[in-house]
Amino acid sequence: MPQKNHYAFVIDVARCIDCRACLVACSVENNVPLDHTRIWVQDQSVQGEWPVLERTFIPYNCMHCDNPPCTEVCVSGATYKDETSGLILVDQEACIGCGFCVEACPYGVRYIDQTRGVVDKCNACSQRLEIGLPPACVATCLGKSRLFGDLNDPNSDVSIALKQAKSIVRLDYEKGETDTDPNIFYISLPETESIQSTDPFGQVSQPSLPRDPHYTVSEVGWKKVLLPVIGAAMGAAFLVQGIFFTKQLIEGEKEFEE
Amino acid sequence: MQKTKVSRRDFLKLGTATMGALALGQFIPPPVAQAARATGSLDSNGSGYISTLCEMCVWRCGVRAKVVENRIVKLEGNPEHPHSQGKLCARGQAGLMNTYDQDRVLNPLIRVGKRGEGKFRRASWSEALDLVAENMLKIKNTYGPEAMVFSSTHNLSQPGFENLLYGFGSPNYGTQRSLCFNAMIVANLITYGLEEPARDYSQLNYLILTGRNLTEAISTSETMDLIDTIARGGKVIYLDPRFTKTASKATEWCPIKPGTDLAFHLALINVIISEKRYDQRFVDQYTLGFDQLVDSVAKYTPEWAAPISGVDAAVIRRIAGEFSDAAPNALAHNGWRTSNFINSFPTERAITILNALVGNWGVTMHPAAGEGGSPLGKPPQPPYPRISALRLDGVPWKFPFVPLKLGIFQQLRDAMLAEDPYPAHGWFISRQNPVLSLPDRQKTLQVFSKLDFIVSVDIIPNDTAWFADVVLPEASYLERYDPLVPIGNRIFIRQPVIEPQGEAKSALWIYKELGNRLGLSDFFQYTDEEDYLNQELAPLNVSLDEIRLHGYIDLPEGVAESEFKWTTPSGKIEIYSESLGKQGFDPIPVWQEPPQPKSNEFFLLSGKVGQHTQFGTQNNVLLHKYEDVPRLWMSPDAAASLGLVDWDTVEVTSPVGSVQVALQITPAIRSDCVYLTPGYGHLSKGLRTAYGIGASSSVLHVTFVDPISGGQALSQTFVSVKKA
Repeated sequence: MPQKNHYAFVIDVARCIDCRACLVACSVENNVPLDHTRIWVQDQSVQGEWPVLERTFIPYNCMHCDNPPCTEVCVSGATYKDETSGLILVDQEACIGCGFCVEACPYGVRYIDQTRGVVDKCNACSQRLEIGLPPACVATCLGKSRLFGDLNDPNSDVSIALKQAKSIVRLDYEKGETDTDPNIFYISLPETESIQSTDPFGQVSQPSLPRDPHYTVSEVGWKKVLLPVIGAAMGAAFLVQGIFFTKQLIEGEKEFEE
Repeated sequence: MQKTKVSRRDFLKLGTATMGALALGQFIPPPVAQAARATGSLDSNGSGYISTLCEMCVWRCGVRAKVVENRIVKLEGNPEHPHSQGKLCARGQAGLMNTYDQDRVLNPLIRVGKRGEGKFRRASWSEALDLVAENMLKIKNTYGPEAMVFSSTHNLSQPGFENLLYGFGSPNYGTQRSLCFNAMIVANLITYGLEEPARDYSQLNYLILTGRNLTEAISTSETMDLIDTIARGGKVIYLDPRFTKTASKATEWCPIKPGTDLAFHLALINVIISEKRYDQRFVDQYTLGFDQLVDSVAKYTPEWAAPISGVDAAVIRRIAGEFSDAAPNALAHNGWRTSNFINSFPTERAITILNALVGNWGVTMHPAAGEGGSPLGKPPQPPYPRISALRLDGVPWKFPFVPLKLGIFQQLRDAMLAEDPYPAHGWFISRQNPVLSLPDRQKTLQVFSKLDFIVSVDIIPNDTAWFADVVLPEASYLERYDPLVPIGNRIFIRQPVIEPQGEAKSALWIYKELGNRLGLSDFFQYTDEEDYLNQELAPLNVSLDEIRLHGYIDLPEGVAESEFKWTTPSGKIEIYSESLGKQGFDPIPVWQEPPQPKSNEFFLLSGKVGQHTQFGTQNNVLLHKYEDVPRLWMSPDAAASLGLVDWDTVEVTSPVGSVQVALQITPAIRSDCVYLTPGYGHLSKGLRTAYGIGASSSVLHVTFVDPISGGQALSQTFVSVKKA
């Protein structure tokens, strides 16, 4: 049976200003713990020779793949591709927190919420979709860079954006003879762009995107024509965001209580 | 036990107690929930959406707050508000964690330790307010009302604050404006007779952005306008010594030498005049002093400006041509960083004149909303007592062009330190953190050590509260009413979304209660917040409930803003200002060479990031989560010549102070500059999230006062850098 909806994100890279409103909105909407994030804006850092410089920001989150590696390794059946929406969801009641899916995801978008002992990740704000609201990141995107909708609906924001796009890029991950078929479509990505590996939290031990040099960046249109590699993944370029909580908590307590 | 000390655990306990009260609220709904149920905003469980206004910066976007069982769970942009258009920036999205900050001050606090030690005891409102009034009256009776200084950030409660200080009889009113854009406002007042024209991007095809980093110094709707303009093919020329995120989006980035924007703009004017690219009709009809300008700018050719600004003559000439070709669908933006240099005032004047020459007025620039006056009523009040004392900040007796409501904050602080022309003895500070905002922090702390009495009104124990004698806990913007806001033909309301936590109270309540104790009850003729708003709405025949439901109300027909008129002395756009000339200043902007750093020094640039506002949001855990580590930016060339590597701890030294901070080597900055994000290096250990992060640029900033606008030149400090 074909999916009723084919939900996808379209990201207009030219419109992203890395303001991080989406990151905060997601954290609030989904009660994401302070030491984790469900979504990212990858900073490609400043490139070029002075004074001709370039800098690109690439928002990403769970790619809600058509051919997901995470569901295959799930031992409890908690991680599944929803038949109606096509979204990859985690039934946290069923999740046993084994973390196989966290390892399996080539995009590094899953984490184990230690306090609850379950895996968490972007669910495209399903709780909002149910009441007719777009995902929190999309709703507040200042640059209108993040779009979301149903590709089965020719009049959706995403369908229209893809029809009008001059170039469409997906971050396909080779998986055996096929690929992951991710459902984030990047438009207006600079042609010369190579996707760098990034660890959003600056901790080398954490998985990053793409954490594996097998990554290919391929260009696809509606027919998903795979093209040769545009840019291979490079070594780690860390976007470091400070996590100092512990140190301060301890110091602050001492001083305040004195 | 002798004295109760406030510990973090107490704060936390209090938080739990508040939650308990909210749970009870299901049976006896608190007033906020009652009011919201009456309008249908909340259901019987205390859940639903309430529309209000953001206060994470001064842009005041419309907010729709999602409330579940009387707790805020999410904030959304109000699609009906022109400033938010359904969106909120990172700060707006994180706003609920200002309200639920673990470090909130929830009770009035009275200092028990030494100043700056951070030891306080809890007090009741009546005890705290009695103590404040007693000290203020003692100062007034002993030294006169002028010995009491008042300062507050630009906000909606300012009418009440002004009643408090002018009713009390003090002329000494500090705002933060002179640290921001006094140069821009005074230049607009001189040229157009208004503070800041509204910018209209709807028909804009060509924008010269001078130090207006719109993607990081975010004003939601204008930031969105910029991105839309670029997306539809509009051309954006961006001048900045840093390759900011805005530079990465602009059509063209000019890494201009700091402090030379004036030379660039004078050269644009030169080309537009010499090539007769100006709008003759507009110039003849609406401007004054064109002929004098022709003579004055003749020498400012692009070839002259190129070596000064570092922008090629051919580029300047081309931009002048493109700009005038695009006019009137063009705009030279007044900018913010343009108030950061010693020559910022003539720079701003040149920008205003440039727009007038090509006739952009009425297409990309309009009179700002509110210039025509407010349709709202207000509670009756007597005239203020006559104030004969001079203002400590020298406005207007030394600085005739600076509006009283802007003032010169850094000059006020210096006068307090020098006790010139008279000593101050008390300081009432509301919603402001001068310890971090004013240049030369050491001086501010010296002033604190001299004063008899310091009061701080705030929601968290910021650095200024840390040094205060009494801290009065204000309700957060999601917990209180403020006076109404007219924008265009709509009136917007800030209304409480939840009950104030702990003992926090609105500014409307605090100022009134304090006013009553100071014998100023005539200036606060309202029974409570709702009565204040009802008196504002009285002339419109609109009820408070009507405006509460959607957070705004459209004005009835016939209540339109009055027609705009130039309010300069001549009634025209003054290219040539006789007022300036009479005071001995250049009536037409001329080149002023700014001082230059020595060979081993750098310009210390100031700027903003999209995740924080000034000096008050660094303790917000959600913003902290997604902020960059605040490091000192330096170019690879400069770092190599100093033998420095990325993440080195460096010592940065200016003529007034020194800080240690981590180094960030980046190609995104000129090699003669370094950059440090302001707002870090907090002194208050009560800010448990923000304390210990980064360094404060206020330690390094040298104080400067522009003789015309009073502006501080925040990027005119020179520093040396070495490995710590």
